[in-house]
Amino acid sequence: MNILAHLDHVVGLGGGSPLYQVSAEHVAGVIALTALPIGLWLLRRKGAPILAPIQWLLAALLAGSAAVHIGLVIGNDHGFAISALFVVDGILLALVASRVVRGHEAGRLGVAVLVGSIVAYWASAVSGEVPDQIGLATKLGEILALAIIVRPAPSQRRRTLRSLAGSVAIALLVLGTATSSWIGAFRAAAAEPGAVAGHHVHGGVAPPGTILPAVPARDATPAEQKAARELLLATRAVLARYNDPAVAAADGYQVKGMVGIDFHASNPAYEHDDRVLDPARPETLVYAVAPDGRPVLMGAMFLMPKIGQPGPTIGGPLTVWHAHQHICFSVTPPGLTGVLSPLGMCPIGSIDMPLTAEMIHIWIVPGARIWRPSPADADGAAGTRRPEGLAFRSWGARVRSRASLIASPRICGSSMPTGSSARRGAGIAMSVAVSSVITRPSARHSLRSSSTIRVRGGRRSVARCSA
Amino acid sequence: MDLTRPDNEDLLDVARVLLLVQGAILVATTIEALLWSFVFAGAAGAPVWFSGAAALMILVARARLRADRARTRRIVYAVEIVILVSLAIDTVLAVALAGALPPVVALLTQLVLPVSVTLLLRRSARATALPVPSSTLARSGAAS
Repeated sequence: MNILAHLDHVVGLGGGSPLYQVSAEHVAGVIALTALPIGLWLLRRKGAPILAPIQWLLAALLAGSAAVHIGLVIGNDHGFAISALFVVDGILLALVASRVVRGHEAGRLGVAVLVGSIVAYWASAVSGEVPDQIGLATKLGEILALAIIVRPAPSQRRRTLRSLAGSVAIALLVLGTATSSWIGAFRAAAAEPGAVAGHHVHGGVAPPGTILPAVPARDATPAEQKAARELLLATRAVLARYNDPAVAAADGYQVKGMVGIDFHASNPAYEHDDRVLDPARPETLVYAVAPDGRPVLMGAMFLMPKIGQPGPTIGGPLTVWHAHQHICFSVTPPGLTGVLSPLGMCPIGSIDMPLTAEMIHIWIVPGARIWRPSPADADGAAGTRRPEGLAFRSWGARVRSRASLIASPRICGSSMPTGSSARRGAGIAMSVAVSSVITRPSARHSLRSSSTIRVRGGRRSVARCSA
Repeated sequence: MDLTRPDNEDLLDVARVLLLVQGAILVATTIEALLWSFVFAGAAGAPVWFSGAAALMILVARARLRADRARTRRIVYAVEIVILVSLAIDTVLAVALAGALPPVVALLTQLVLPVSVTLLLRRSARATALPVPSSTLARSGAAS
């Protein structure tokens, strides 16, 4: 049984994206923040200066950021140079804070230090450093401090123009922070061995919105291989009838309003029938709409009835379930609106679904790009590892397949791994691909179908047939 | 440091800065929602409009914020209430489903920020309704 770390994603131990977690190496920064009340107490004992509320806020934000940066040195494992930069940044921020507390303006030094700190964060994120909640909170604090500094004084000339310019600059800084965080989170996920781009990206670091389970690092037993094969064949047999959405609709699948290349048609009756991984009753069908408007069945998704309930890994490491986290759902009207922003918000009118039930997919798409291990991923001696799901396909593959899809794909052939050399770990990506490619512009279609199951690190066999 | 400004103007000063950052966050959220709507075909479009409208309302209110403009304050309150209600739902879901609170940044942007803005505007409104303290008049030179 694979057990997802349902709760740990918030504190950083589970398989969720680091974007929504507190990184272990940043905890020291949080602890350093506790020095602030002590500093304030000392300041009060000395005789607190008379400052406007906004100046106090500015001083607190600068001092807080300084404390976090100094604290980061303790947990930093990126070498001396980065530690030195943290120290310099922390000292400069503290210097500006002390100027403010003494009643001086933060001035250009304050602007330079804050902009430098924010841009350095962008560079770090874009280069693949995983952003986390402490980094994001610190940057938002710094942006707020900058907004205070650059606001025009009431008596300043061209106040409206300066105010507008300052507002645009702050908006760009917020936007830049969000953008760089997205890039950092996805790059970190993609950089880990085995990760691919697409709807379900699996590797050592989870992309935003996904929770990866820990799976025993071992080969599938013969019994598990047999169970996986039976699941695969049974599901394929059932899916064949749903090539026609009308049949799916008659069976209760919500196929109305089908759009895009990743349309999930759920079946509420099957979702609540308490049957688990029943090939005869997949909870969701996934369709793509071909360029000519015809729907093409892409695969099926099995869903656990309850959140937190682990999916049955009947195929051991061959059947790995996953879940999603921090998905934004609209309530006006119901629908998926994205993934929780690094800025902590779902779009207005939608809610943040912190965790979904576990799910597993079987795809029947052409050119499905499957998770591929790298040598660096082979040392799964720890007993558990972050694997990949049953089947994954890249965005590019889906787009390519969209261009070549025709209706009425047929299923042919079957295959299973021959001679698993999956000693590298139990992670496996298994894909069932049925492709139908138009090779002639005439009505005569040449169909090419392939079914693929690929064992990680092992060989694969592909059966093809043509008509 | 400008010590001659009345207290409620100081509070509004803080509120304006917070509203600017909140408006910028809402703009970013709107753009993100727009981009996600391209990724998830069929994603609901209403939240994009709602987020854009909220961003616009907050930024316009920030520009028009004065101590004597109750209508502007009410617009801000309305948006803040929507954000707080949304967080309340998120928190219930997070505790019930994941056994944890929402992420730290979500708490900052959906709780600390709206509550701070609301409190500042309420205090400012109260300060405007009350008679001006003589000390403030003396500082501003109005008594002379």
